[in-house]
Amino acid sequence: MDTHLAISGVGKTFGTHTVLAGIDLSVEKGEFVTLLGPSGCGKSTLLRIVAGLETPDAGALSIAARDVSRLPPEARNVALMFQSYALLPHMSVLENVRFPLRMQNRYPKPEQIERAAAALDLVQLVDLNDRFPRQLSGGQQQRVALARAIVAEPDVLLLDEPLSNLDAKLREAMQLELKSLHRQLGLTTVLVTHDQTEALALADTVVLMNDGRIVRQGSPRDVYARPDSVFAADFIGGANVLDLVVTRTGGGWQARMPDGTIVALAPDPRLGEGPMKFMLRKEAIRLAPEGGDVGGDAVAIDAIVETQNYLGGSTRLALRAGGLSLIALVETGPDAEAADAAVRIAWNAADLVPLPGDV
Amino acid sequence: MVGAAPRWMAPVALAFVAAIAFFMLVPLAVVVASSLSSSEFLVFPPRGFSLRWYGAVLQSDAYLAAAWTSIRLAVLTVVISLTLGTMAAIALTRFAIPGREAIASLFLSPLILPSLIFAIGLLMVFSIYGDGPSFTGLVIGHVVITIPYVVRTVSASLVDMDPNLDEAARMMGANWWQRYGLVILPQCRAGMAAGAFFAFNISFDDAVVALFMRAPSVETLPMRIYSTLEFSPNPSVAAVSTIMIGLTIVLVIALDRAFGLGKIM
Repeated sequence: MDTHLAISGVGKTFGTHTVLAGIDLSVEKGEFVTLLGPSGCGKSTLLRIVAGLETPDAGALSIAARDVSRLPPEARNVALMFQSYALLPHMSVLENVRFPLRMQNRYPKPEQIERAAAALDLVQLVDLNDRFPRQLSGGQQQRVALARAIVAEPDVLLLDEPLSNLDAKLREAMQLELKSLHRQLGLTTVLVTHDQTEALALADTVVLMNDGRIVRQGSPRDVYARPDSVFAADFIGGANVLDLVVTRTGGGWQARMPDGTIVALAPDPRLGEGPMKFMLRKEAIRLAPEGGDVGGDAVAIDAIVETQNYLGGSTRLALRAGGLSLIALVETGPDAEAADAAVRIAWNAADLVPLPGDV
Repeated sequence: MVGAAPRWMAPVALAFVAAIAFFMLVPLAVVVASSLSSSEFLVFPPRGFSLRWYGAVLQSDAYLAAAWTSIRLAVLTVVISLTLGTMAAIALTRFAIPGREAIASLFLSPLILPSLIFAIGLLMVFSIYGDGPSFTGLVIGHVVITIPYVVRTVSASLVDMDPNLDEAARMMGANWWQRYGLVILPQCRAGMAAGAFFAFNISFDDAVVALFMRAPSVETLPMRIYSTLEFSPNPSVAAVSTIMIGLTIVLVIALDRAFGLGKIM
């Protein structure tokens, strides 16, 4: 595998506002990267720079070992699917999908039509070729836009919040389809989203951005399990952030909760003595059997259930433990519906993840 | 939420609509009826029934020459007004031009300015810098008074356009010409049709600018009608007017079929 899209030192300023500050990112051929971050973090600007619709103030950009920094969008062989889909309202579905081939003068007309129809097949849109965009549902329009983005076999496929205009159910279905389409075509893909579920569900690599910088980058599992800052922990998945005081003991480490409760920590090179922030995922907390064994490396403490929300597949608990408020997501809540039920909760020592990025 | 109208409003509204219909349609009906008169004079109610005045109009060199002048004038006005107005609308809606508001107001000012004053000024300018009234002067005058309509209707189409269309076309490899010809102008079609319709009608119907820019050799149809009415009123005036009404109706229907009037006005 080699680097297919290389972004080096890309910076962008609008007036006095720095939108992107020295972004370095390399994407391998066939890789699916999601740029994730809150609105205003610069992810869309970065996408537009790769597309060529925005000029960076600094840095360089290469696609397939060709420097494209100075090329206009129409010469980059990059496809961009807009959040609004940007379908041409006066052209039929087939004409819309054929448009890139027609503009780039690729293939004779009959083959253009054939390829456009094949792309529509690929996104499972059949028998709608002669319809106009306004006659289609949102989901169908989204598929047309997708077909139009892949029809010309771009070197890089850029997707700007492609699923955000769909309802939740359709969005889930499209995530699966998008993933399988990517597996079939192997297109190098960069997707921008503010939806962490979407980022985790689709990506080979999640790139988390904040304030014009890349703050964390890695596989979805890695980024989810081992964030290195409160921002990363909170933005991806949401989590409890605990302020603990770390001390070294003989062979390992332990932490003191605000009320003095001592909990064991798993070894981690990022640990250091003194106050530190830790992440504890909501679903890492489980209810421990009363007085029962919780397992070798698990930590168990007493807690009070303040409220609980039954969510169907799971139950959300608002807990008070160790002098802190914690949120837990458990499969089955405690039987007692009464407020302030006393329970024992447990988590694996390794689930208490240090966040050295913040003190 | 649209609430139900109070009950007492119904008769008032009905009377109001009836009054509008009366004052709009009755004059037209009077004109049409008079045109079918067989008498020598323009009177109402008409006496007898005859199409002779239509025949007279179609055989009158004066009317035919005036009609030809008006048609040439209206077509030229539409072509120039549509070209300039569409370019102005595209520039004003799509680009951050310095002083955009001021320029937009300037383009729309002929709507507010009394056309009588504009016509006097135009005549003076042509008398000072040119040879006085002329067909060219008339075309320029009509372009000025019709351009606001084109700018308005085309801008309305552009505001409805997905702002990403142009960038999307670029990403797909379209060059400048293709983006304008295949993407942006097609979005303006309905607005351009409406603008052209307004421009044609206003130019064809105008009597104010034409009155001042009238040269011995340049007489438009409204001017012909006016002077006939003044010097020898006969039902031919009504016949010409009826033909003009018919032409307008045909244009409206054609426009509605092609674009849907509700969408563009």
